[in-house]
Amino acid sequence: MAPAFSAAQTPLRCRRLNDTQCERLFAGILEILERTGVLLYEQTAIDLLKKAGASVVDGNRVRIPPRLVENALKTVPKEVTLYNRHGDPVMPVSGYKSFFGTGSDCLYVLDHRTGERRPAKLQDIKEGMTVADALDNVSFVMCMFMPWDIGERMIDRYAMATMLKTTTKPITYVTTDFSSVPDVLRMAELVVGGPRALEEKPIASCYVNVTTGLVHNEEALQKLLYLSGRGLPYAYVPSTQGGMTAPVTPIAAMALVLAGALTGLALSQINNPGSPFILPGWGGSMLDMRTTVMPYSDPDKRMLVADFAHWLGLPMFALAGASDAKTVDQQAGIEAALTLTTDIMVGGNIVHDMGYLDSGLTGSLAQLVICDETLGWLKHLVQPVEINDETLPLDLIDEIGPGGHYVDSEHTYAHFRERWYPSLFERDNYAGWEAAGAQTLGERAASRVQQILDTHQPEPLPDDVSQGIDAIIRQAEEHLSDAD
Amino acid sequence: MSSVLERLSTAVIAGDAENSVKLVHRALDKGMDPKDILDNGLVPGMDEVGIRFRRGDMFVPEVLMSADTMSAGLDILRPLLAAAGTQLIGTVVLGTVKGDLHDIGKNLVGMMAEGAGFEVIDIGFNVPPERFIDAIKEHQPNIIGMSAMLTTTMRAMGHTIRAIEEAGLRDKVKIIVGGAPVDAEFATRITADGYGSNAPSAVELCKSLASAS
Repeated sequence: MAPAFSAAQTPLRCRRLNDTQCERLFAGILEILERTGVLLYEQTAIDLLKKAGASVVDGNRVRIPPRLVENALKTVPKEVTLYNRHGDPVMPVSGYKSFFGTGSDCLYVLDHRTGERRPAKLQDIKEGMTVADALDNVSFVMCMFMPWDIGERMIDRYAMATMLKTTTKPITYVTTDFSSVPDVLRMAELVVGGPRALEEKPIASCYVNVTTGLVHNEEALQKLLYLSGRGLPYAYVPSTQGGMTAPVTPIAAMALVLAGALTGLALSQINNPGSPFILPGWGGSMLDMRTTVMPYSDPDKRMLVADFAHWLGLPMFALAGASDAKTVDQQAGIEAALTLTTDIMVGGNIVHDMGYLDSGLTGSLAQLVICDETLGWLKHLVQPVEINDETLPLDLIDEIGPGGHYVDSEHTYAHFRERWYPSLFERDNYAGWEAAGAQTLGERAASRVQQILDTHQPEPLPDDVSQGIDAIIRQAEEHLSDAD
Repeated sequence: MSSVLERLSTAVIAGDAENSVKLVHRALDKGMDPKDILDNGLVPGMDEVGIRFRRGDMFVPEVLMSADTMSAGLDILRPLLAAAGTQLIGTVVLGTVKGDLHDIGKNLVGMMAEGAGFEVIDIGFNVPPERFIDAIKEHQPNIIGMSAMLTTTMRAMGHTIRAIEEAGLRDKVKIIVGGAPVDAEFATRITADGYGSNAPSAVELCKSLASAS
């Protein structure tokens, strides 16, 4: 079971926004919702908001009065817990606890065997999930890759089946449209023992992509209504690009993301008061005005939305461990480390996208293991510091005296393993490093990936469950080909 | 080259629309041919903008200012060119593919293509193959440009090309694709005619395809 990281108890926890700034931002977001409004592309959602007092013009331009958001903040749960395959509450998400996981849907994989960047296949999802299952600091998974060898309408079902079969850890699934959601949930229900079991101890949460803060696509709203109706967890994540779909300043771009998120929140609580809702934990993204790429690891937006989510008191789905670099190089290492560190310090809750390169288009298992190692380092950084007779043994110091040594003392024997020891970074002397093959971190990471794939045996599902999942896939394939 | 036209190119590079309008009028008053003003005044300015953007010396907002400046000048010349029966560089139909609501990238290409002298017909977002086909029949464009932002909708580009083939129209148009998840390899796989990695490259591609056809 991967333990949570929490910077909460240490002086390391930090903020970028103070309370006054959060209040001003909140007022601004409420003004955007009331004055400018949102475009909603789903009629039930429009009708629910209208009935609750929102104004609707031109069919789908919805202006939301502040009280709908304020009421929602009163009923929405402040915590959400995600469970593993066995029903253990491995991710009790609240406050400043941080849990880390992979990302989803990379089109390409940077193959650790060959160094080649190639289109991803279903087998890459299986390998990614095997590695994620083995790594201590990975708490949850997303599918990592979008497989090109699967028909596009079946991708979501195959991805979910592979995740459920290959790891016991909690899963955040995506799904392109709404129609595959019931099937992927039925698979999860088979694994945990039924719809009620899934609702009580959810192994699966949905990552809902929303077009932009102020434009909500039909699929996103359908998923929100369905999942909130069942009380199942999901993150409602609008995307905005500063300078394109939002003003270029980070605060404005994040305000639009949050306006969209709070629209979803209001709707979810109108639909089912008390149903769980997970905010986005990042926003304020930019479009790089030279390359027209949306960078993942730019510093200007770091920590802002997570800060604000804490001010609202809600759990959030954050982002770290991702790089814009194209290979597992120094930039990839630096960007992963900077983003992981800042998310721990701000207390990002469910932190995804470890192993992402190429601004989310290429996934790398070697990069994932490097992120895992980095988290090990960070875990030690945020450990609470204890000063007591064991950590400051004054009697021992006096006994051993000024010129004595400690290497063979019982105290050293008892405590030396408490210091952090790398399992992937290296700190041999030069001759030792040379003798071991003079490898770079990237080379060792690739070897580690292969070692995990060769030796790690994920716990298999019971045969009947596995067959049940396969049956759902077969039925879907037949049904979809009949419909053609 | 006359200094009026040089100064017009400079106005385009600087994004100075007010000045470009004045200079176009001045050039016309001097009796210069509208096509000459376009080809040797406005277009070289945008060509230089493209070069500077690729070098990383100009940013997208600056490129758009230049495109607006070019359009301001072109608006004066357009009726004169039409009256003389002169073609613009070409016609481009742009759309975001089925299932995708993202249109900003496409809009950027449209603005820059207009700035480069194309007639641009934007058929919007979430465009199914049939509507691309209708647009080809109605507007007879040189080029169809398809945009997608989602990894999950980019395959609609392939479906659209197949549909255009089945309608017997594939040889009537050049098809280019773009958008965040798209790349040259994907474009080749779906048998598109080209890929633009960003809006200015897309417009460069349109220019070379239009002059070849």
